[in-house]
Amino acid sequence: MYSDYAYLIVGLPVLAFVLTIFLGWHLPKGGGFFTVLATFGGFILSYGIFKEIYPNEILHQSMHWFANFNVGILIDPLALVMLLMVTFVCTLIHTYALGYMDGDHGMARYFAEAGLFTASMLGLIFSDNILQLFIFWELVGLCSYLLIGFWYRKPSAAAAAKKAFLVTRVGDVMFLAAIVLLYNNLASLNLTLPPGEYLLQFKVIYQNVAAIPPDQLTYIALLFFGGAVGKSGQFPLHVWLPDAMEGPTTVSAMIHAATMVTAGVYLVARLFPLFYAAPSALLIVAYVGGFTALFAATMGLTAFDIKRVLAFSTVSQLGYMMLALGAGAVVGAASVGVSIFHLIGHSFLKALLFLCAGSVIHAVNTNDMREMGGVGKYMKYTAMTMAAGGLALAGFPLTTGFFSKDEILVVAWEYGSATTDFIPYILGILGALLTAFYTFRLWFVTFTGEPRSDYHKHESPWIMLGPLMVLAFFALFFGLGAQEPFYHYLESNFEHYDVNFEALAAVGQHHIEEGEAAHEPFIIKILPIIVGVGGILLAILFYYPRFRKLDTRKFTTENDPIRRILLKGYYQHEIYTAWFAETVVYGIALLSNMVDIKIVDATLNKISETTVAFGGSLRKAQTGIIQNYILAIIFGVVVLVVLIKLWLEVSI
Amino acid sequence: MDLGYYAPLGAEALLTGVALLVVLLGLFVKNKNLGGYLSLIGLGIAMWMVASAKLGTTFFFDTMYVDGFSQFFKAVFLAVSILVVIASLSRYKNHPGQDEYYALLLFATVGMMVVASAIDLITLFVGFELASLSTYALAAFDKEKKNLEAAMKYFIFGAASSALLLFGFSLLYGMTGSTRIADIAAISMADFGPATLVALIFVIAGFAFKMALVPFHMWAPDTYEGSPTLVSALLAAGSKKMGFAAAFRIILVALMALRLEWYVAFAILAAVTMTLGNVVAVWQTNVRRMLAYSSVAQAGYIAIAFVVIGAVSGSTNPDATYISQLGLAGGLLQILGHALMKTGAFIAAGVVGYMVLREGKENPDDIENYAGLGQRAPITAFCMLIFLFALAGIPPTAGFVGKFVLFNAAYDAGLLWLVLLAILNSALSLYYYLRVIKYMYVYKPAGGRISEPKGYVLALLLATIAVVGIGVHPEPFIGWAMQAAAALLP
Repeated sequence: MYSDYAYLIVGLPVLAFVLTIFLGWHLPKGGGFFTVLATFGGFILSYGIFKEIYPNEILHQSMHWFANFNVGILIDPLALVMLLMVTFVCTLIHTYALGYMDGDHGMARYFAEAGLFTASMLGLIFSDNILQLFIFWELVGLCSYLLIGFWYRKPSAAAAAKKAFLVTRVGDVMFLAAIVLLYNNLASLNLTLPPGEYLLQFKVIYQNVAAIPPDQLTYIALLFFGGAVGKSGQFPLHVWLPDAMEGPTTVSAMIHAATMVTAGVYLVARLFPLFYAAPSALLIVAYVGGFTALFAATMGLTAFDIKRVLAFSTVSQLGYMMLALGAGAVVGAASVGVSIFHLIGHSFLKALLFLCAGSVIHAVNTNDMREMGGVGKYMKYTAMTMAAGGLALAGFPLTTGFFSKDEILVVAWEYGSATTDFIPYILGILGALLTAFYTFRLWFVTFTGEPRSDYHKHESPWIMLGPLMVLAFFALFFGLGAQEPFYHYLESNFEHYDVNFEALAAVGQHHIEEGEAAHEPFIIKILPIIVGVGGILLAILFYYPRFRKLDTRKFTTENDPIRRILLKGYYQHEIYTAWFAETVVYGIALLSNMVDIKIVDATLNKISETTVAFGGSLRKAQTGIIQNYILAIIFGVVVLVVLIKLWLEVSI
Repeated sequence: MDLGYYAPLGAEALLTGVALLVVLLGLFVKNKNLGGYLSLIGLGIAMWMVASAKLGTTFFFDTMYVDGFSQFFKAVFLAVSILVVIASLSRYKNHPGQDEYYALLLFATVGMMVVASAIDLITLFVGFELASLSTYALAAFDKEKKNLEAAMKYFIFGAASSALLLFGFSLLYGMTGSTRIADIAAISMADFGPATLVALIFVIAGFAFKMALVPFHMWAPDTYEGSPTLVSALLAAGSKKMGFAAAFRIILVALMALRLEWYVAFAILAAVTMTLGNVVAVWQTNVRRMLAYSSVAQAGYIAIAFVVIGAVSGSTNPDATYISQLGLAGGLLQILGHALMKTGAFIAAGVVGYMVLREGKENPDDIENYAGLGQRAPITAFCMLIFLFALAGIPPTAGFVGKFVLFNAAYDAGLLWLVLLAILNSALSLYYYLRVIKYMYVYKPAGGRISEPKGYVLALLLATIAVVGIGVHPEPFIGWAMQAAAALLP
């Protein structure tokens, strides 16, 4: 019964968008309850569908659109868990926003855009073909742009929005190129598709991957990964994500932590069979993921803006998800389950952390941790829930983050022992240590010690604390209950399409390891626990006033090059903006501009001047005198006769 | 007599009856709006009858034929008339002569529908003249000086063109001994006298007057600008399409033997028409005049259909039939789309004119009056925006679908030069369409918010939904046009 209304999962938030944008100005709280209810309705529907199709069925509806394209809904295990997570987390965040955004003049605009975002994200997830997915992908990008620049009068917000839009655009262009290339390859196979099936449907793509030439497959997979890199903030296109924190904190929580940025991971997972047949692409996925995981974590060590620390942490965790997918070359479709499990767990805990940070910012009115200190005394609930999120992120045993990250590291180890390439594993384990450290650095610096500035000392209202508690519960205990059935369910995802992984492995010329690599040494088993707890202990020694034994100043000095590099964020601003954007790109832009003005524009101007002047003189033929008009008819007839005669003479 | 047999022509009969009834009631009934509602109901039922009519029957000794092609055009004419009547309900609410207005409008519609079905020269001419005479009177309906000038020019020009057309017809009859299209086609295949070319050119010239192809277009800008706005909508969107309906039947079927001759004629006409229409439109500061030239340019695009068919039929191309059908379907889609968006654009211009006249200003169609329309009349401005984008051929609108199919067919037919010219022209046309949009949304409003008349708004919204609907979901419309094209070019 719920399955018949699957389209409403997107329809309800769209309705909320329309209602809030037109009526929100006249309603209390900007009509935000429309968005909350619509998203919650989406959750109910998704849950109903889950009950109906779990564990053995998928839901597929499709209708013809035009030419050889269709629009359709595909809810398989992969899409279903994403739908549940997005509707659930977004409902909580929208509820929280009712409190957080209260009093902002643009509240109606906020909830309208948030509703549109939710709709686009859900549409992206349940698309049954890559073209439709791309359309929603772009819509999601648009909403992200609008919401980062929500306070558009603030120059830094406007600049951040522009940066996010432009940087992700680089990825989007690659995504589009990938679609075109994939379409060309599929079209050249001259498939005869049964009615109701279309070339760009995932089912058709999965089944025909093996027929595409391997070199083409690698290009396609890499271009798709390019799109994912842009959206999911992987190195080197991660630069937009920390700046995106200029938006309201709820936006950061919803778009730039819990949902939209995971779209890239989702894309790679969705196209996993294609990647699987192109192992060199998967290798790059693993390396980029692993490198990003460590690289972003090091930047998290030195940031002072509470939201930026979390942003770097998001980039880093997305790297882990990519790393898990990349290891799929060895472990097969199981890696999708591992990666998506971390994605889901991360969504809970990162939404929680951002909302806690929002709660603190709401009270303290600054983002800078150096001006906080001792906040825990006045905001007990926020401090406790944030601690829960921190433990989960750090991978403290038995929290959600522990299970998911542990599994990723195990997969990375298996990958290493099968290929003797342990670099992704080492990157991952080092990143895990740093993650635990910077998370608790943030917590201790913010919540313990003495206030370092004069801020408002009050706890947030219950409409904000409620969602925090729910998320804290999930961040702590979701992994304990759901882990095993989750892996099992997601691993079955591609069985619904009869994807033959062995044939795909043959295309990619590699083998699935049959479990013999799973006997990792004891030390590998407990290493994640050691680094997780160790990182937390280190943070205690450095930053918790009561047990402070170590001082950062003992280890580094003002002139320490490593410290300077980290503080400067690897000079990325200097490289990307000052050097690349302002020198190289600007130089090229100047040159192109000159060519444009002197040659292209000059020619075009000449042409248009001539055209316009021509029009001006032709206009004079329209004298308004009817005799002249009749003359024109006769003239026309004569000229036509003459021209036709001439033409026939010439051509015969 | 078996009435059921004549059911496919029921729509024409019904509308004639309603028109007579409207005139009659006008004498006795005080509530003058009644005529408008009656016409609307009549048109609605006629639309249903057209949609459900049985295809493939001939009537009245082989002079009328109901097929997919005729029904396509009838649906277009009826759609335009419905939109115009809806808007007229607001415009002529308290006008003393409105019964005549609606009756003339219905007679014009019937005339166009007869032309769509006619397969005999005499019947076709009668329908042609019925539509023309009704619109001559409509063009002067507001009885202002400008109206009268417009109507006079339209009438004289029309009379001259009718003379040419009739002369062409008489030559055809003289050479073939028949007025039936099928007979003319059969005989002309066998043998044709020396006067052929003259007959062909006269026929083309006669139709080109209605289609407003350059240089037979000169009446159009003056008349579209000077007539009552809603009548301009009917002329540009409806009566002009009648010219195409007639030309498709006569030239593509009856005169197929003269393919080489009319191929050249239409290649020249299409190229000159779209270029001249667009280039002159750039200069216009009067929005209705701009729309008139844009309408001329659009006729140039539609005329590409003739060129495509002329280029491929009789060639060795194995897909010749398909390409000519595709070309005609493209022309038909462009006709459908243009009818909707041009009606809409003229109705939107009508709202502005209405507003300006209420403020007691001169020159209601001057582009200055569109400044800040986005704030003054948001619905009108938004619909106008959609229509202008559609006219420029931007997806997802009906304008894009028509151009896409048409240019595609032209490309398949090997007419690359024409496709390039048409695309360059489309790019040029954006210039003057965007200028109106700039006035509407960028410039400061020239006055306060105005109340948009209900009838106009309803018509605008209907047209917008249709234009966007065709653009978003073009498949059934393409299928419909292909069916209509296949009926004419089996």
